[in-house]
Amino acid sequence: MAAPSLAVKKRLIFMLAAFAVIVAVLMVRLAFIQFVQGTELQKQAFVQQNRGRIISPIRGTIYDRNGKKLAISVQVATITCSPNDIKSKSSKLTPDEVADGLAPLLSMDRNQIKQLITKKTDYVTIKRKVDKETEDSVRKWIQDKKAVGINIDEDAKRYYPNSNLASHVLGFTGNDNQGLQGGIEDVMEKYLKGVPGKILSEVDAKREAIPLDTEKRIDAEDGLNVVLTIDETIQYLASKTLDKAIADYKVKQGGVAIVIDPKTGDILALVSKPDYDLNNPYALPKNVEGLDAASWVEGSSDTVNILSKSVWRDKAISDTYEPGSTFKSITSSAGLEEGIVTPDTITSDFPIKVTGWPKPIYCWRKGREHGVETFREAVINSCNPAFVKVAQSLGIDRFYSYVKAFGFFDKTGIELKGEGKSIFQAKPKEIDMAVASFGQRFTITPLQLATAYTAVVNGGKLMKPRLVKELTDSDGNVVKKYEPEVVRTVISKQTSDTIRGILESVVSTPNGTGNGAYVKGYRIAGKTGTSQTTQQDVHIASFCGFAPADDPKIITLVVLFDPKGESYMGGMIAAPTAGKIMEDVLNYMQVERKYTEEDLKAMTKEVYVPDVRKLSVEEAVSKLKAAGLNYKIEGNGNNKSIVVEQTPKPDAVIPEKSVVILYTYKPEQQVTVAMPDLRSKTMAEAIDALNRIGLNIKALGTGTVFKQQYAEGTMVEKGQVVEVDFRNTENVE
Amino acid sequence: MKDKKPFDFWLFITVLILLSLGLVMVFSASAPTAQRDYNGDTYYIIRKQLMFAFAGIIVMLLAANYDYRKYGKKTVMALMGASIILLIAVLIPGIGHEVNGSRRWINFGSIPFQPSEMTKLALILYLSFNLSKRKKPLNSFFGDLMPYLFVVGLISLLLLLETHLSATIIMISLSMIILFVAGAKIRHFLILVAPVAAVLAAVISFTDYMTPRINSYLNPWSSPQGEGWQTIQSLYAIGSGGLFGRGLGQSMQKFLYIPEPQNDYIFAILAEELGYIGVAAVLLLFMIFIWRGIKIAVHAPDTFSSLIAAGITALIAVQSLFNIAVVTNSVPPTGVSLPFFSSGGTSLMFFLVEVGILLNISRYSNYERI
Repeated sequence: MAAPSLAVKKRLIFMLAAFAVIVAVLMVRLAFIQFVQGTELQKQAFVQQNRGRIISPIRGTIYDRNGKKLAISVQVATITCSPNDIKSKSSKLTPDEVADGLAPLLSMDRNQIKQLITKKTDYVTIKRKVDKETEDSVRKWIQDKKAVGINIDEDAKRYYPNSNLASHVLGFTGNDNQGLQGGIEDVMEKYLKGVPGKILSEVDAKREAIPLDTEKRIDAEDGLNVVLTIDETIQYLASKTLDKAIADYKVKQGGVAIVIDPKTGDILALVSKPDYDLNNPYALPKNVEGLDAASWVEGSSDTVNILSKSVWRDKAISDTYEPGSTFKSITSSAGLEEGIVTPDTITSDFPIKVTGWPKPIYCWRKGREHGVETFREAVINSCNPAFVKVAQSLGIDRFYSYVKAFGFFDKTGIELKGEGKSIFQAKPKEIDMAVASFGQRFTITPLQLATAYTAVVNGGKLMKPRLVKELTDSDGNVVKKYEPEVVRTVISKQTSDTIRGILESVVSTPNGTGNGAYVKGYRIAGKTGTSQTTQQDVHIASFCGFAPADDPKIITLVVLFDPKGESYMGGMIAAPTAGKIMEDVLNYMQVERKYTEEDLKAMTKEVYVPDVRKLSVEEAVSKLKAAGLNYKIEGNGNNKSIVVEQTPKPDAVIPEKSVVILYTYKPEQQVTVAMPDLRSKTMAEAIDALNRIGLNIKALGTGTVFKQQYAEGTMVEKGQVVEVDFRNTENVE
Repeated sequence: MKDKKPFDFWLFITVLILLSLGLVMVFSASAPTAQRDYNGDTYYIIRKQLMFAFAGIIVMLLAANYDYRKYGKKTVMALMGASIILLIAVLIPGIGHEVNGSRRWINFGSIPFQPSEMTKLALILYLSFNLSKRKKPLNSFFGDLMPYLFVVGLISLLLLLETHLSATIIMISLSMIILFVAGAKIRHFLILVAPVAAVLAAVISFTDYMTPRINSYLNPWSSPQGEGWQTIQSLYAIGSGGLFGRGLGQSMQKFLYIPEPQNDYIFAILAEELGYIGVAAVLLLFMIFIWRGIKIAVHAPDTFSSLIAAGITALIAVQSLFNIAVVTNSVPPTGVSLPFFSSGGTSLMFFLVEVGILLNISRYSNYERI
């Protein structure tokens, strides 16, 4: 046979070349798939090859400025299921057996569980956030039954140790531990939440775990801790006092108390009432009237709507109101800074005409005007016409440039969501400015006013309110610091010093409008305010003060919305509330009291009541006299008679010179007397009236009687100490 | 041709390397499937494959030492006749064994046998023998070419009745290459191409038979759970490989994502575990095989052996490159196994017998060995 022809050989070489080309093409094709499309294909393949379960990171703790815990995360468990594993051959239990086994442990419906564990998905949650006991019982059941596909995953639950305290500042978290409601939980979400970890298991095409393959664990990265400027104790003191004021003065629409450090802008307390329990935010609020407990469905859109409008609402930053006379500090600062007035400039509160307005503007004490007075006195007396004059001298442009400089046109930028927007006339006229000079016909938020006061008292430096102090990691290292920020300097230090002095006299002058805030030993300063609202007979009483007046450590604003008690005047109800908060806070801050001579004179010494029972009348009287107490004998006045009973009882603390009633017989019941009407009586008159019928007095405040502990006609035991509140009603705006 | 030379060492080593790599991959790829289907016996499939490989090497060595010139008219015609009878028999229910809707196997005892594998060898020998016996060139389409085309057509028809499309394509390609090497006129191929293209176009446009295949070829992601599944899973596997692969035995895609990963898609698992380095090496090995095969054909002592060598080389080249083209979604998907890799007894045995024949021819070929 002949060897293959040349033609055959040529065609063979062609065949070799053709195959070489195909091999080269496939090489390129493979390179394209592996290198160009590789990353994307690998990603998609990874998704189908793995089943992931999430490990929640531990959410950061929220601390107060002293490291007290305001919001913490506690570890709980979430029961989850991989339905494909239950379906697989390796599962010894049927879905029905699993459902029946778990139902009693989780207090769930077995059909609901069965539906969940037979879902066509990789991963379902059976029950979230179960307690330790349930977790253990499920764990034991899994071990006993050798169940597969039921997982106990770590989860975290938020807990607020102080329940209601600072509820609006903190806000709460949702089911996925995400911050809600515009509080710190919400605003600082990205820092608090941390990075979730994952438990990955490789699965085959039937989505069953690949045998012998161990789970891969990517640990969660815990969230950062947030350290607030809030002082838990100050927040508590302010909250407690505000609660009492709301109860005492029958305040219908809630209240606000803000305490700020003027030097740094640190928010020490931010209280808004009504508040709510952070551990149970969806529950029926007890402090809101007119809600029906029976029809309350937690979490329904209706109830959430009610909550959003009531207890969840942070009135301190969201509500806008007319600041009234508290704003006069701003007008005064502008006037002093521009040299229009000095404290001693002579002015008056006679009615004043304003261009474009038919009626003149009167002082609040219309008909009994204060007359010619110095500017300082005009502030003390809160005379509107005097401020209109200052504003008119400033002119619209200059006046509103100060309003703007004090920050009233801008949001304060506090680290909370939902700050209200102030409302001013777009193009204010003469009359708008005239009434604005005493705080009417524009609305601002309480926080804006308190912030503006930082510039008034802090040498003119307007501070940005600081709520977050720093962020720390789980080891306590500071990760990020938030420094105090000066927004701008609004007035000179000299003006600031002057206005502080004037505002101190508003409180310290016995007849001053702000005298209700006076606290013996502390130099309290401030300005009262009583505003009308668009609603008939709805008033807002407020007081914005600071202390100590020579070197302010705190600014305190109290706003009471719609008081319906004895008075709605700021000086009558808001000033004493703010005074009480400042007294408590300064005390807590260990600021030393310095009593004036008047203080010392006015201070009544309190003494312990000695035990004079079983003594003769003669011995008892000498013992009482030694203790600085007076006496009155009921029954036989014989010196040798034995005292059988006494009122008040031994060891009670009562003011010096109070009367102790001595009984020389065994009374069936103590002798009682009818409480007299003390309204409008001076302190001397009130003491006299009570002593005369054998009652003792504990006098609070100065001025005339504003409130008495027992209503007129109440039968009170003789010798008892009765609390009586005095106020300067004569000149309280 | 008195003195027999040693057989082509390059070819021999290349085949042994491909076969060894193939066995390793079959073991890796088949373990999860074997575990699922054979009561947890991870070794079930590899054990059978090893047995066939061992037997295959023995028959390869036997064929390498059996003088190809003894394949006379009787042998060739008997093999061809037997193939056609078995191809008919496999269509008869009861004899033919149906797997996945296709009747391709006849069971001899417990050993399944694919007549189509035997037919490939029969066709190579038949065409080579008859073409080498011709006195005049293939000048006339109807006069000279038609008898060969008739045989190829008959076999193709029988394979189509099995619905064994891939074998049909391979058989036709193989025949065309042998006819081409034997000197068929280029214009005659054009005459052939025209009606085939017309029929193909008609099938694609007027019937639904090819529609899913075309769709899954053009856009496998349009139906990821349906017809696109295999293609997507194969691409996932290859794409996950990168340069160095996930490592031997580390394939994720073999966990039932790719159906029967030890068969037609074994190359994808190889790409996933060994990466581009691995697939390039395998392609290179096949290229060496093709190079040595054609070298043997070129230097063969006579036209008969030259055509046999060309035919065998073409068979393994077409089948391996076609397989890789399918796995990489370079052509529409059809089930074709990868020589020396895919598990399956009959096919491996026949490939090794064919390599044996090739080796035998090399002993008579006249070229310098390295």
